[in-house]
Amino acid sequence: MSLQTPRILPSHLHAFHSSSTSTNTSGPRSSHTVRILGTVTALRGDTATITCGNHGDVTLILKPDSHLQMGKLVEIVGKVADLEGGGVGIRVLGSMDWGNPADCDYRIYEQVVNATHRLKPIFYDE
Amino acid sequence: MDNGYNNYSSTYSGGGGSGGGFMPGEMNSPSGGKSDYTNATLRPITIKQALDAIQPYPEAPYQIDSAEVASVTFIGQVRNISSQSTNITYKLDDGTGEIEAKQWIDSMTADSMDTDDPNTNSTSNNKNKNQIELNGYARVFGKLKSFGNKRFVGAHCVRPVRDINELHCHLLEASAVHLFFTRGPSTASSGGAGAEGAGGMKGGDSAMGGVSAGDDYGAGKGLPAMSPVAKRVYHLLKTEPQSNEGLHAQLIAAKLSLPMPDVARAGDELLTAGVIFSTVDEHTWAILEF
Repeated sequence: MSLQTPRILPSHLHAFHSSSTSTNTSGPRSSHTVRILGTVTALRGDTATITCGNHGDVTLILKPDSHLQMGKLVEIVGKVADLEGGGVGIRVLGSMDWGNPADCDYRIYEQVVNATHRLKPIFYDE
Repeated sequence: MDNGYNNYSSTYSGGGGSGGGFMPGEMNSPSGGKSDYTNATLRPITIKQALDAIQPYPEAPYQIDSAEVASVTFIGQVRNISSQSTNITYKLDDGTGEIEAKQWIDSMTADSMDTDDPNTNSTSNNKNKNQIELNGYARVFGKLKSFGNKRFVGAHCVRPVRDINELHCHLLEASAVHLFFTRGPSTASSGGAGAEGAGGMKGGDSAMGGVSAGDDYGAGKGLPAMSPVAKRVYHLLKTEPQSNEGLHAQLIAAKLSLPMPDVARAGDELLTAGVIFSTVDEHTWAILEF
């Protein structure tokens, strides 16, 4: 099976956390890998924060070769992980720079997230 | 005698034209390849749909949501590019799955030659513009193919996607078309999605049981998923002049030239769905307006 990376909003993070999915699956599962879209609003060395429209912030745990730039819109592919200071964040596996956040209508992304989770047969396996 | 002669001549002339006479048969028999050309639709899909597409029998055209697909288009992130002497293979991932797209070099060079001619100065610029980058997004237009057990896309065109809205729009478009094929045409309110689906309809026509046309019931209220016969019965009840007692099943059967059991079954389906109700007896139905 190929790796699937569901698109999510910050409010869905907990649903993809290992604690909530470990009941029906065993071992490391691809379902923990997600995609999220946001604007880089803080960079702190090995962590960063992205703001996802008006859905709040997500803390990212960066890897050494992830080059995020302040103020850019980025799409993150990563694993949902516990943060050191508590809470849930995303460990970055890959990032894609989409440039100026003003060029993206975040409401369309919200609709995409909504549609992709309603129409499992064409987007994601259960 | 005269009559016989006429008959003869008419059949003869029929036969004369039948350099063409053989044609229809020929066109139908190798249904695999030929129908591909008459079904000139382009369907937006996700990679998962491409992987899940079924082939009713070997060499048959692929089906998605039980509608035949000719050309498809999808957007994905380029995970690998491998250039061989005859083709370039891109591995694409759109979050729903991974698939390879194979583009033959031949057409590529033809493409770049076309763009070279008008503006020789900006060739390098042009190249950069249409360059597919690793981990960048790209849109693929092509046809579903398989080699052995491996499914891939024979790409006519691969181009980079620079606007994230295009990606999102594509995913929503794929959703709309999927819903069109699984749940029928959308209601009039969402004109855009409806029109989009109608484009794909031509391809799906036969697969959908040869119902006359999409717009027959497209204008009506959105029906829940049901059989084509049920949709026709509903449509007739909706449009046929009638008293408030509605129409009798036998009359419907006559009007639609359908066998009575089929109409009865369609009626049951509609009754269960709660879109019609029985009036004077259990075989006289009227539309349930609300």
